[in-house]
This record gives sequence, C-alpha cells and structure tokens, in this order.
Amino acid sequence: MLALVPYLQGRDGIPVKDVAAEFGVSAKQIRDDLRLLMYVGPGQLPGELIDFDLGALEEDGVVHIRDAEFMTRPLRLNAREAVALIVALRTLRASASGDQTAIIDSALSKLESAIGDDVSAPVDVHVDQVDPHIHTAVEQAISHGKRLEISYATASRDDRTDRQVDPRRIFTSQGRLYLEGWCLKAADLRFFRLDRVIEAEVTPHDAEQHDAEGRDLADGLFTVGADAPYAVLDLHPHAHWLTEYYQVDLLETRDDVRRVKMFGADWSWLRRLVLRNAGSVSVVEPAFLAAEVHQHATAALAAYDGEHTSSKE
Amino acid sequence: MAARKTERLMNLIIALLVSRQFVTKERLREAIGGYHDLTDAAFDRMFERDKDELRELGISVETGSNDTYFADEVGYRIRRDDAELPDIELTREEAAVLGLAAQVWEHAGLAGESSTALVKLKAAGIDVDTTVLRMAEPRLSTEEPSFDTIWDAVTRRIPVRFDYQRPGRDATARHVQPWGVISWRDRWYLGGLDLDRGEPRLFRLSRVQGDVTTAGQPGSYEVPEGTDMRQLAAMLFPAEPSEAAVLRIRRGRAQSLRRTAEQVTPVDDDFDEVHVRYASAWEIASEITSYGPDVVVISPEQVRDAVVNRLRAVVDAS
Repeated sequence: MLALVPYLQGRDGIPVKDVAAEFGVSAKQIRDDLRLLMYVGPGQLPGELIDFDLGALEEDGVVHIRDAEFMTRPLRLNAREAVALIVALRTLRASASGDQTAIIDSALSKLESAIGDDVSAPVDVHVDQVDPHIHTAVEQAISHGKRLEISYATASRDDRTDRQVDPRRIFTSQGRLYLEGWCLKAADLRFFRLDRVIEAEVTPHDAEQHDAEGRDLADGLFTVGADAPYAVLDLHPHAHWLTEYYQVDLLETRDDVRRVKMFGADWSWLRRLVLRNAGSVSVVEPAFLAAEVHQHATAALAAYDGEHTSSKE
Repeated sequence: MAARKTERLMNLIIALLVSRQFVTKERLREAIGGYHDLTDAAFDRMFERDKDELRELGISVETGSNDTYFADEVGYRIRRDDAELPDIELTREEAAVLGLAAQVWEHAGLAGESSTALVKLKAAGIDVDTTVLRMAEPRLSTEEPSFDTIWDAVTRRIPVRFDYQRPGRDATARHVQPWGVISWRDRWYLGGLDLDRGEPRLFRLSRVQGDVTTAGQPGSYEVPEGTDMRQLAAMLFPAEPSEAAVLRIRRGRAQSLRRTAEQVTPVDDDFDEVHVRYASAWEIASEITSYGPDVVVISPEQVRDAVVNRLRAVVDAS
C-alpha cells in the first residue's frame, strides 16, 4: 500500500478507477487504502500526516495527494516479490523467440541489478523449443496482423493439411507452445501445437477480425466431453505411468494390473496409444478396438515375416 | 492484515526512514499512535514483533547509537538507499515485458507478489503499456498441494522432510536439502540433496504425499557452486539424437517421424524411404509400433527387433 504514496505524487489528479486498474484491485479498495493513509506520516501534527483533497475525491473521483514529500520512491522489491517476477520473466523468455528474447534479457538484467545480489531464484521453467523459423513467422504474423499459411500435422488422425489461419495469440499449455487462430478451412477458432506446424509463411493479406469468443482455458486445454470415446484398458506395471499423464478413471487394481477407463480425442488416438505400449497395455473393451489393434499388429508384422525368420536361421 | 496494524507498520517504516539519526524506542513510542496506551511489557512485545515483521517484508532495520561516548542509548533507523528502489531505466518494450510478466503466474500468492513488484516499479515512475508488444502468453500454474512449502524451502534454503510415492511402490520418507525447482510440461520438480541416499535426486511434486515439514533453519546449508537445475533434471529432457535409422513409411503417414526426417526418397507408389535420427531405441520403437503397418523398419536391427517383439506381443496376447 505504501507504493501508492510515490505513485500518486507522480500522477496528480489521477482518477481513482485508473489507480485501481493499475494496482489490480477494486476502486473501493483504493478508497479504503487512501483513508488509511491519512493516518500515516512521520509525525502526528497537522502537515505531518498524508492528506488528500477530499472534495475532489468525493465529487470528481480523482486523487490529489499532499504532504507526502517524505516518501517519493517506492521500497525495494522484497525477496518473494523479486523471485516471483524474475521467474515470470524467465517463463516469458522460454516461450519467446528471436528479437523478443533480447528485450526480455535486457529487462531481466536491469531488474536484477535494481534488486541486488542477495536474492536468488533457483527456479527454472522449461518450454519445449520449436523450429525458430516457424516460431518467428507466427510471431511476426501476429505482430503485423497478417494471415498465415501453415502446413499442419494432426496427431490423432495422422495426416497433414494446409490451412490459412488468422492468428490471434501464442500461448503455452503443458510446457508446449500453441497458436490460437481463426482457421479459414474450419471456419472456427482452432489451437495448433507449434511443434506440429511443418511450414509457416506470413502472407501479404491482412488477418481479418472474426467474431468468436476465445475458449476459456481455465479448465485446461483438453477437457473430456460427454461424447469423448473411451476404452477400458489393462495397464501392466510398465504402463502405470500412463495414469499420471492422461485422463483416466481407475476402475480396479488386481495384483499389479490396473484396469482403467482411458479417454481419447478419437479412436485412432486410442488405437495408437495401445500399439505404442504394446505388451504392457491390453484392450478389455470395446471389442472392435481390440480387433483393430490386433489387425494392425498382424498387418505390420507381415512386412517383417519372410525377412525376419530367415535372418534367424 | 488488520488496518490498525498496517497503519502502525507504515508509520514505523516512515519514522525510521525519514530520520537521518538513530531513533530511540521511547521516541518511536511517542511518535506512533499504535504504540500509545500500552503497558511497557506489551509495547516491548509489539515492537519486537513489528521489527520481525519488517524483516519479513525485506526491510532491514539498523541498530546503533548517535553518540559514540554514550553507546548505551540504542536507536533504530532504515537507510534510505538500502530501503528504496534504485533508479531503473527501461525502454517502452522492456517495461511492457515486465507488465506481461506480471500476468504469467496463475498461483494466487505468486500472482499477488509479481503484481506488487510491478506496482512498485510503476510507483518508481515506469509507464507500463503492454500493448506495444505482441508475444507468447505463457502461464505458470501449480496444482501440487506441496508447492507452497517447497517453494518457500527452495528460496530460503530450508531442509525438508516428506513422504514420496513412486507409482506402484510404497511411500518412503525423504529428507532433502532443496537446491531448486523446475517446471516441465506443467509439472513441478524439486532437485536437491537426498540426505538418506547422500546423492542429488529429482522429485516430482505430484508424488509428494501429505504435508511437507521443515527440518532445519533457513540458510542452514549451501547449494553447491555451479548447481544447474537443467542438468539435475537432465533425465526429463530427450537426449541428443545420435543414432540413425532407416524406415519405410507409407506416403503421407507417420507425421511425427517425418517431421524430423533428414532424407525422404520415394521407393514405390505407396512408400517413401525415410532417414531419421533418434536418441533412444526404446522411444523410437514405441513411436514406430504405434503406426502399425504404415511404418516398416529397415535398419538398425536393434530397433527392428524391438518393434517386431512388441507387435508379436499384441498378436500373441489375443
């Protein structure tokens, strides 16, 4: 709250609502704080306590501070504040590319020198790196409001499509970079994982404004809808880690086998998950998924048959 | 914090800050309204608590005497150049970066602390307009119940004790000197010296069971010089792909393998020969197996055998 004192002296006549916005609190909170500050000062005599022009505050909602010359600078950041901001900057840095990295580095070093040496922040934030050309292209399209042309690999369906996208923003989820943008092909807002963008080119066309609400990501990027497909799987010990990484319901544990309900984006994703963990994951139901997995494995094995057995003999 | 206490602490800070000389306790008692109407003992206790509180806020209170001959009269002061934020010159873009940084934390406590930090910078006269820059908007969240205690322990070097449970095993008690934390794929990991094993270890916070308790004083150990969390957490990161594999991949399929391909040559109407690099035979065999008949391993034998074994396991099981 003491930071208000130097802040207000530098901005005589500022509206209460602007102060509230800058401090990230309600206007009522600011008014309460100002009322309290009137009991604060180097002494208790008139002129020694902070004063405000109450008329202007009540009638016009603006702040004129007086008798506060004893404090024209804010206090230093304490260790917790400094660490919180430094780690946030490192997170920005881990998600930025090119020119922006240099700006963040210089902001970080200026901040660190203002904080002093006795603050240590043994905290590292990792964001998966993507192809810098693609990262930069997407960033530039956003900065200049241009349409992007991307070639995108879809993981679950395992295909590659070319799309035109009016980009909105880059964000991270689960330590990975994503582009949110209006996909002209889907005529809807879409998320694209940047490491799955195979090519990206900034077009000379201006991106258009599309009237669509961004999805609220507060509940996480991948929420399981009521109609999401799921399979009942048996996980042997080598596959127990899956329960920590994916959305599963644990149904029962028998000896060292965990039976779970595993949700997927679609059936092909579930099929690939089972094949990927072949030997330690088996399908209990549905039967058609079990049959599909078996059929894919048999077909795959056929390619090795002649060659493999002969090499053994 | 109750309003009366806030008021009292602010007055104490200001009284100690504006005075060039050391201020005696009695003088403070007279000057600050919150100290009136207290018995001597109650005032002593409150004054000691308030000094601790200032220390917690990161404000160091100096003790000394104004008179070198009569050193028994102890006083207190806060040095302005210690306590005040020094000048910091930022470009528009750098100021915007700090503004964006204050939006990164989704953890209530740390979000509050980073905004307070930003507010102090604004109070020092820095104008923050985040619209001058468009950059990635990362967010840092924490779901692990143990996060707050671990965070405090790491930043203040406090030894801790907790129960740790790896999947499929019984929980065991661990005693750790925390060295640092790292966020990877939205999960937090603690790195430090495992005192029971006498070796550095990495712990996933989501596997910490129950409460974390402190097991020593702040600053009671040193973090070894040159400790690098990235190195300690090396097991989380994929190794450099140094091995080469040759695969046959159906045209237009297995995008995840094609993305890192060094060379793609068509072999017939349906298949391409694709050269890729990999770090772990186990990992790439998993990836290849997931694509079923769309990917066939040509070489090396180690990967081919691993894939064949997995496919057999599926076929034999049913």
